Amino acid sequence: MEGGSGKSILQFAPFQSSVDEGFWHRLSSLKLNKFGVDDSPVPITGFYAPCSQSQVSNHLTLLAESLPSDSSEESSVLAVSRGNRNRCFVPGIIYNTNTVEGFHALDKQGLLKAEAQKIWKDICSGKALEDSSVLSRFLLISFADLKKWSFHYWFAFPALVLDPPATLVNLRPASQCFSSEEAESVSAAFNEWRNSSLTADVPFFLVHIDSNSHATIKHLKDWETSQSADDGHKLLFGFYDPCHLPNHPGWPLRNLLALVCSRWDLKSVHFLCYRESRGWRNHGHVPNAVGWELNKGRRVPRIISLAKSMDPTRLAISAA
Amino acid sequence: MVLSQKLHEAFKGTVERITGHRTVSAFKEKGVLSVSEFVTAGDNLVSKCPTWSWESGEPSKRKPYLPSEKQYLITRNVPCLRRAAYLEEEYEAAGMEILLDNEDNDGWLATHGKPKDTSGEVENLPSIESLEISKNRDVKSVPSHVGVEDEDDIPDMADFEEADNIEIDPGTYLIAHEPDDDNILRTRTYDVSITYDKYYQTPRVWLTGYDESRMLLQAELVLEDVSQDHARKTVTIEDHPHLSGKHASVHPCRHGAVMKKIIDVLMSRGVEPEVDKYLFLFLKFVASVIPTIEYDYTMDFDLGSSSS
Repeated sequence: MEGGSGKSILQFAPFQSSVDEGFWHRLSSLKLNKFGVDDSPVPITGFYAPCSQSQVSNHLTLLAESLPSDSSEESSVLAVSRGNRNRCFVPGIIYNTNTVEGFHALDKQGLLKAEAQKIWKDICSGKALEDSSVLSRFLLISFADLKKWSFHYWFAFPALVLDPPATLVNLRPASQCFSSEEAESVSAAFNEWRNSSLTADVPFFLVHIDSNSHATIKHLKDWETSQSADDGHKLLFGFYDPCHLPNHPGWPLRNLLALVCSRWDLKSVHFLCYRESRGWRNHGHVPNAVGWELNKGRRVPRIISLAKSMDPTRLAISAA
Repeated sequence: MVLSQKLHEAFKGTVERITGHRTVSAFKEKGVLSVSEFVTAGDNLVSKCPTWSWESGEPSKRKPYLPSEKQYLITRNVPCLRRAAYLEEEYEAAGMEILLDNEDNDGWLATHGKPKDTSGEVENLPSIESLEISKNRDVKSVPSHVGVEDEDDIPDMADFEEADNIEIDPGTYLIAHEPDDDNILRTRTYDVSITYDKYYQTPRVWLTGYDESRMLLQAELVLEDVSQDHARKTVTIEDHPHLSGKHASVHPCRHGAVMKKIIDVLMSRGVEPEVDKYLFLFLKFVASVIPTIEYDYTMDFDLGSSSS
């Protein structure tokens, strides 16, 4: 696509949540059997994957496995095997309150800031270079009404705000940015990256193309060593983009930008939004935080009632 | 109906418990799969169509005869842009056959009740059920997701509109503009999973629907996305063997027979079907049941090296 003029502000498509029913089932069981009235925050894991359909964005998905195991004999460590290309791990935290009043009384801006601070700290300490998934850290507040099997919840995807905001220089499909030789090599390199269980779920990376059009995908921490003497090389920052919109990058780019700006103080950078089945797009461009998920365009929490599948009396009736 | 379904489930469960699983291949003879053939075919599907992956599901529901990390296959967030119920009405209104009627497909559909008879127009009349279903799509204000039926207990969202201290940053947020037509409403998404049904010795397809705001879709509304020849007949709402909750499923009782027909057609043309391709054939057949759910089952998968 044609990019805007040099000065348009880069706009990001917000991340969206999708919660599997199994998550609520396990949360209920944990609340009843393990947590009790203890409402201290619990680390959880979300999953996402690069956009794989041209019509819909991918979401941050919570599954039963996002929560610690509810059976006491199994260790509460995540027993999910890594390396599933459709499941990039994203660390998150859940604040599950005991009352609906408690849910509404939570200091939302404060909680968001606290999570954003963790991201910022990981950027500053360099931890985000080692484990880039911490850049997409998220926050979930919830109230599980176990008498009615309904769940009030609200996601936040904290994003560090650049000041001044990043501007978009140009936005093009990768096929127009790369020579056909480069595109072929980039494609092969990505296939390898995505098919290896070691790297399939690493959501942020570098795309290095040497002067012979040979592409390699590297970890973020290899940025310094990638500044080789090879004059003709190209270096792009890439990420798995869950967004499907042709003219906007997805949310994860925000904190990558924050990292790039604060760590290397680059003024203009090439980005590669990695999406499957639609090819990629490129961006050039040159902390406060935002990120509460909108619900139908409004800033309100969501409620899901699972009485149909959790209420024993209803289950008994439907089983009769 | 419900009672007989329960009885059958109980019977099936007992048979599954006391019988061993199939170990001898009867893929070509009966169209069925052994457990290890299911795993082989699943591995092939995952490698050719990488939007699919193996999952292990609820630990308490694991089947001992399947590898713990390969209990079932799933592809998430599959778009469904139009209602199948609606699609068929359109075709019917246009005087067209909705069922695929070229020679390849004859065999697949014939087993699902009546073969389409072009002269039997009476049979093409929409049933009461499909009329009922299609009504919903005109009532835009009907919330489709789970959680709206207990309206007495659910506080009005507006009461809690958070005017408090939440910071927003409209400059860098992309705010989705309000849809000016009903396209947005119709973009449902589905998680499509494939389990191994030990009783029928075939794969079985399950659907979990989400509405446009990614809230769980009521199982009844999922039937709008099922070909109306199958809704409430071969597609039923049942407990998922590996996941929580009720999900729509294509009942596997005829899967073996249908697969056998497909295999016969292939063999009659001199194509020797390989068992690791089973799920591709199977998903192609399932596409006739859920024509508007756009999951991936094509063999030629390209990662998109040359973007359009």
